[in-house]
Amino acid sequence: MSGNPSPSLSVSPEFDDDTKTVIGIAFGNTTSSIAYTTPDGKAEVIANEEGDRQIPSVISWVGSEEYHGTQAKLHLVRNAKNTVAYFRDFLGKKYSEIDPTNSHNSAHPMDIDGVPSFNLQQADDETASTVSINDITTRHLIRLRDSASDFLGRKVTGAVITVPTDFSDTQKEALVAAAKAGELEVLQIIHEPVAAVLAYAARQTPEEQSVDKNILVADLGGTRCDAAVVASRGGMYTILATAHDYGLGGLKLDEVLVDHFSKEFIKKHKVDPRNGRSRAKLRLEAEGTKRTLSLGTSATISIESLADGYDFHSTVNRLRYELSAKKVFDQIVSLVENVVKKAELDLLDIGEVILSGGTSHTPKIASRIAALFPGSVPVNAPATLTTSLNPSELSARGAAIQASLIAEFDKEDIEQSTHPAVTVASHLSHPIGVVIGEDNSFQTMLEAQTAVPARRIAQFGVQADGDVIVRICEGIREIVVAKVERQVNGEKDEEEKEEEEEEEEERNRVLKVHKIIAEAALKGVKKGGKVEVTINVGSDLGLNVAARVIGTQIGVRGEVKPGAESA
Amino acid sequence: MAFVKISKPLPALPEDWNSESNFIVHSPLSPAVHRNLSPAGPHFLAHARRKRHSRTFSEDDRI
Repeated sequence: MSGNPSPSLSVSPEFDDDTKTVIGIAFGNTTSSIAYTTPDGKAEVIANEEGDRQIPSVISWVGSEEYHGTQAKLHLVRNAKNTVAYFRDFLGKKYSEIDPTNSHNSAHPMDIDGVPSFNLQQADDETASTVSINDITTRHLIRLRDSASDFLGRKVTGAVITVPTDFSDTQKEALVAAAKAGELEVLQIIHEPVAAVLAYAARQTPEEQSVDKNILVADLGGTRCDAAVVASRGGMYTILATAHDYGLGGLKLDEVLVDHFSKEFIKKHKVDPRNGRSRAKLRLEAEGTKRTLSLGTSATISIESLADGYDFHSTVNRLRYELSAKKVFDQIVSLVENVVKKAELDLLDIGEVILSGGTSHTPKIASRIAALFPGSVPVNAPATLTTSLNPSELSARGAAIQASLIAEFDKEDIEQSTHPAVTVASHLSHPIGVVIGEDNSFQTMLEAQTAVPARRIAQFGVQADGDVIVRICEGIREIVVAKVERQVNGEKDEEEKEEEEEEEEERNRVLKVHKIIAEAALKGVKKGGKVEVTINVGSDLGLNVAARVIGTQIGVRGEVKPGAESA
Repeated sequence: MAFVKISKPLPALPEDWNSESNFIVHSPLSPAVHRNLSPAGPHFLAHARRKRHSRTFSEDDRI
């Protein structure tokens, strides 16, 4: 299968030199995906020649033949020593820094001058050669690029690649170098949570994209889980906090099923299948069973000659699985709670949740996370929102969208745009708003954590003829806890009664006026008129306010000079 | 640029208001926090364009 038809055959001459063909690549430890944008701007994930959209990040050699993706993954059973898997996080790291836990069932990384390398047979004779992690990555990226080229019928020249938020600069450099060695230009490296946000933003109108909110992105993968809080302000994204758990993910859930089935097997045959080849077989099949449990309420597993020549057939239902996997689910939930705390926010400050990564297909995880938030907060996962996108495709889609945005940029333009002089910006520490209503409540115009310069316009109604005041102020968010006594139902039995009698807490997010910045008076406003207020915060935190009554000459402008300490 | 419509009305001007200019400054904004913007998405690219050419919002709107 390594002999793919050469993509150059189908290249039409007019596409040759000028047109850049760019794709998005999500490069993961467990799987990778490739995506492109259609001429109408939609991102689509490409299936490789085997029909996979989540292509296992696995490479295997049998003699001189190179296998990739699902085919290579099957070799984890028969040919484990010549199969390299779970290698993404090794890239750009010293041997002493890597955690080879997940490599125990495949080729083991070795220390060659500090670089993680693998001893592999890549020739038809029995000789082994050492292959560095950089070369493995290059081969993987070449296979991904070729699959995209085959599908598009044009040679892919550049890509935007997603990486986790804790990828170091050294790791990024190693990734760019590995791609370059495979004749693939890395246009830009973007962070996985931002790619997931972009994938959802792409189907919104520009107005919807500009709505300010804090988005929680939980990326639940195979070998690790990452969570991030992203502040979306006027369509620009700032990562407020990240949290990582390197031992958590889909593999842990596979283990739960492996243990469950092993116990059953031992009961029947007095043989433990949890070693060597038997374990590899069981893991492979358990993963399939786990996926089935995300779609149906029961799933079967059947493996011929699992251990000691015994076949194994069994069924597990979703409830049983969810009970056994509760510990893993708990850890994922606490990772999510943790990242919100790390961002110094409350769960009530989160306006949207995006679940990304293959493990997000698990219905119980989605419902557990959704239970943390009020019902009004959309939780984008297949089990909780029918309009959600496929969580396994978000990173690749986001990367493809970014690739199409910068495809025509010069290399220099991209470098300048991503330079700290452009990306590091002052962010407001408090929301800015206007006092409104009888009760002097706070109406936010600019949220906290908005990057400046920023401008917002709001329209207010006028209740009665006369003069009105526009009070510009900074706000502060408070969580107000109100005790709510629940009604006790007399018919309930004792145990339930006790619970019911407890006071329940109702937590509410309230914005209050923190500090008044400026006041503007508008005189002689007619009832039913509309007042338009524009606030413009400069990068030096100078504030320009303009208030005018629409359709009249009445208006007032003012300027608040920046404070001494922020000059 | 889009604006938000707010349903609640603005409060009436207090009786004791007296200022020549109709605009009083009370205090500057609180100090800001320096953070990194994620260099992705169409709105960021617009921001980068403004910053690199030192344009303001209204200048950018006109182009």
